[in-house]
Amino acid sequence: MSDALLQVDAISKSFGGLRAVTEFTLRLAPGDLQGLIGPNGAGKTTVFNLLTGVYTPTAGTISLAGRRLSGLRPHRIAQAGMARTFQNIRLFGDLSVLDNVRVACHLRVNRGVLSAILRSGGSIGEERAITERARSLLRIFNLLDREAEDARSLPYGDQRRLEIARAIATEPRVLLLDEPAAGMNPQEKIELRELIRKVRRDFGLTVLLIEHDMGVVMDCCEKITVLDHGVTIAHGTPERIQSDSKVIEAYLGAPASDLPPRAGGGR
Amino acid sequence: MTKFLQTLMDGMAVGSLYALIALGYTMVYGILKFINFAHSDIFVLGAWISFTVASMLGWAAADAHAPVWAGPLVLLTAMAACGLVGFTVERLAYKPLRRAPRLNVLITAIGVSLFLQNFGQLPFVFGAQPQRMPSLVADRVLASFSGVQVRLVDVIGAGSAVALMVALEWLVFHSKMGRAMRAVSYSTSVASLMGINVDRVISFTFVLGSALAAAAGFLYAMKYPGLNQPAHTTWVLLGLKAFVAAVIGGIGNIRGAMLGGFLIGGIELFGAAYLSPQLRDVYVFALLILVLLVKPTGLVGKAVVEKV
Repeated sequence: MSDALLQVDAISKSFGGLRAVTEFTLRLAPGDLQGLIGPNGAGKTTVFNLLTGVYTPTAGTISLAGRRLSGLRPHRIAQAGMARTFQNIRLFGDLSVLDNVRVACHLRVNRGVLSAILRSGGSIGEERAITERARSLLRIFNLLDREAEDARSLPYGDQRRLEIARAIATEPRVLLLDEPAAGMNPQEKIELRELIRKVRRDFGLTVLLIEHDMGVVMDCCEKITVLDHGVTIAHGTPERIQSDSKVIEAYLGAPASDLPPRAGGGR
Repeated sequence: MTKFLQTLMDGMAVGSLYALIALGYTMVYGILKFINFAHSDIFVLGAWISFTVASMLGWAAADAHAPVWAGPLVLLTAMAACGLVGFTVERLAYKPLRRAPRLNVLITAIGVSLFLQNFGQLPFVFGAQPQRMPSLVADRVLASFSGVQVRLVDVIGAGSAVALMVALEWLVFHSKMGRAMRAVSYSTSVASLMGINVDRVISFTFVLGSALAAAAGFLYAMKYPGLNQPAHTTWVLLGLKAFVAAVIGGIGNIRGAMLGGFLIGGIELFGAAYLSPQLRDVYVFALLILVLLVKPTGLVGKAVVEKV
């Protein structure tokens, strides 16, 4: 158990009387690529918001590489090595593509306010380093030729990729992807699978993926956790999840015994 | 022609001051989405601190001759002091309200404004008497053509204002902190998730805006040495016009605030020179009404579609 990179212990979150997430537990070893699925409103994005500090858990703890994260502010958690993308794309729309990535690079090259004003020789070199790094990321994501455009003017698929590039620019250890395939066409989805595998390999990332597209999830993830009404109803390999009666029931709203076999196979 | 050029010069000189103040309104609005009504009082504070520093150093005496470096020294002192005040006001008054409804913050800003005005009038602060700002820049006529006088104080004033605006433009669009400011302005929550310390960016914005307002205060005192007491209504009107400049340019937009400032200064002085000097405030507010009717987002502003 001690080699876990991200250890989530029984975190819960209530909004008033609503229990959005109940005792969610997850363990990611370095290099893992796990999936988090569940019907709409199951609490998947709430889990991401808890992991990144947007919400503070009502109970339970989160630790990354042995460091406790729960209760820290979002930028501290980002510093500790957690980055994410968003279900509904949330780029800095009126910043250029390059600036979107550069802003996320700041985290790892930080010299404080004063030198930013005084702009000592070091900070010019720093600025150059940031730009170089941002460009090399854009190259990997095939966005280099659009670096000067406003992020909002990019086509949808490019925006999704830019979000991933921006998240990686913070040099995370754990990358949380919130429905990266949403709105993509079949060709883009195939490319996305490749991209996820590639960034995980090249950047040594540990990935937690929320995805509705079963093709992507079943193909990419080694292990999958299924949430329903904030409660973990199943955890295991894609094969096991596909044949789990509780999962099928949660998705289709009927006991598995009432359904023809192999109903959970996805699209 | 002489009158036209003279008015144009005066208009740009006054306009550059409005622009400097408007920048503070617009930067804070861009990031926190509220109007910092205490901002114009920082401008007043800048003028009064300039006077206090100058008189403490003995340059207010009738026969005193200020050295060449007196102006820059007083300017920088006022900017630093007001930056500190802006920082403190944000920490004490606005930061605790980060998650409060915007109206609460707005009302707090009005409270801070009243506090600063009246605190400044206390006998051990600036006092409730008008004062005369010593001239720290030799009032020389640099050049004179076809009756138009180019005065050193005007050149230095407009020059400093423009230099500060160029510096700000560079800072916002080409530096790390500026990039962080633009990111926070676009989305505070996403910026923090990308590792940006939002509180630090907000503090920086307040310091920057306050320092610019202080510079405007100093330059104003140079141009119009008769300083009214801190709670005098002339100050309120000046601050209000700078706010109008920010709105006309498109609040939240830095270039818009600069444009708005010069536009307001121009229209005010041209109206005063060619129509009626009694109505100079009317022109400014008439322009505001016109802009709000025709292009409510301001001249440079973009319409933001709120997602439902």
